[in-house]
Amino acid sequence: MFRVPLLVAVALAVAFGGGIASSVWALKATVGFGSIAIGPWVAFPAAQTASADPYAKAHRARTGELLFGSAEGLMFSAATDDSGERLSAGCSYDISGITPPTRFWTLYATTADGSTLRPGPDLPSAINSWTVLRARDSRFVIHASPVAKPGNWLALRHAGSFRLVLTLLDTPTAGSSGLIDLDMPKIVKTGCGNA
Amino acid sequence: MRSVLFAILVGLFGAALLHIVIVLALPQFTGRDAYTRVLDLLEMDSFFPLTAEPGPTGLRSGNPFLRTAVCSFSVADAPTRFIARGPVPFWSLSVFDSGSNEVFSMNDHTAVNGNLDLIVATPIQLVELRKSPPEELTQAIMIEMKDEEGYAVLRALAPFDSFEEQVRDFLTDSSCQLFRRS
Repeated sequence: MFRVPLLVAVALAVAFGGGIASSVWALKATVGFGSIAIGPWVAFPAAQTASADPYAKAHRARTGELLFGSAEGLMFSAATDDSGERLSAGCSYDISGITPPTRFWTLYATTADGSTLRPGPDLPSAINSWTVLRARDSRFVIHASPVAKPGNWLALRHAGSFRLVLTLLDTPTAGSSGLIDLDMPKIVKTGCGNA
Repeated sequence: MRSVLFAILVGLFGAALLHIVIVLALPQFTGRDAYTRVLDLLEMDSFFPLTAEPGPTGLRSGNPFLRTAVCSFSVADAPTRFIARGPVPFWSLSVFDSGSNEVFSMNDHTAVNGNLDLIVATPIQLVELRKSPPEELTQAIMIEMKDEEGYAVLRALAPFDSFEEQVRDFLTDSSCQLFRRS
């Protein structure tokens, strides 16, 4: 005699449980559609606009970040290296190559949920296009590592995974749709531990 | 057994429906979107510089080389005028409406003489301003905003620590005030 209420309860439980869980998962997993991905670097050039998709709008309302306007810049972030492995703060990485055309760029590391890593005032925790040391053909190699490195060193003092954030300021990349030929730096793991 | 399967199927259908409703309705209900946070600063008509660590409102200036200041404004009664000038290597400004949609953005290269002088107004106010433009607004960029409330984000670049003072002065001297004809 409790068959019908039980069935209704099952249907409601599936509906609410599934609906809420899938929404939370979808908003955590991605910033929305319309991303541009170049190697491991991902950016969302339209996430701050009125034409952003509903997922992007819900995501930005949940995180409450101050997003970059299209004339300001474009923020790329990478959670993996070029081989698709998660970035781990115990390992060393070489970030090498050139950036797309831009007036200025900055590179720093964040935790997996996006707060900036600040290893301390004495350590180089961020690099920009004025301070980076370049080769003669204007390419650069940045060593993100927990141990000190010669050249461009980005110090990591963190446990677990991290993200790299490359912000291009005043870049035509933000407005262009032909994003195929963009050159982003490669991220290659060079070793783990103190080796 | 068939009816249990049917109940689960109905449940899944409901879950899909609920998923759509939640995603579409969420921006109105989170209470921690960027506009609400800027309003929580309780600072109208002037730029509020943000710290590197998240403050009580959760807003922060995450990029180590960019100093960020925000200002909430309303153009319901009068247009708002944004002014900033100073020798910084780069600055940029974005204007968002209350739904955090970008209305307008610019940087020092797109500004007149590299100085920020921007008027945000409703379409009706803009018609009046254009009909008889005041003397002081000859250099100003005018944009229209359909929404009456919004916030602006001003960012200035300090590539080295030695730029810190210039950038701080740039942000503290900037203003976002109601514009009234004198």
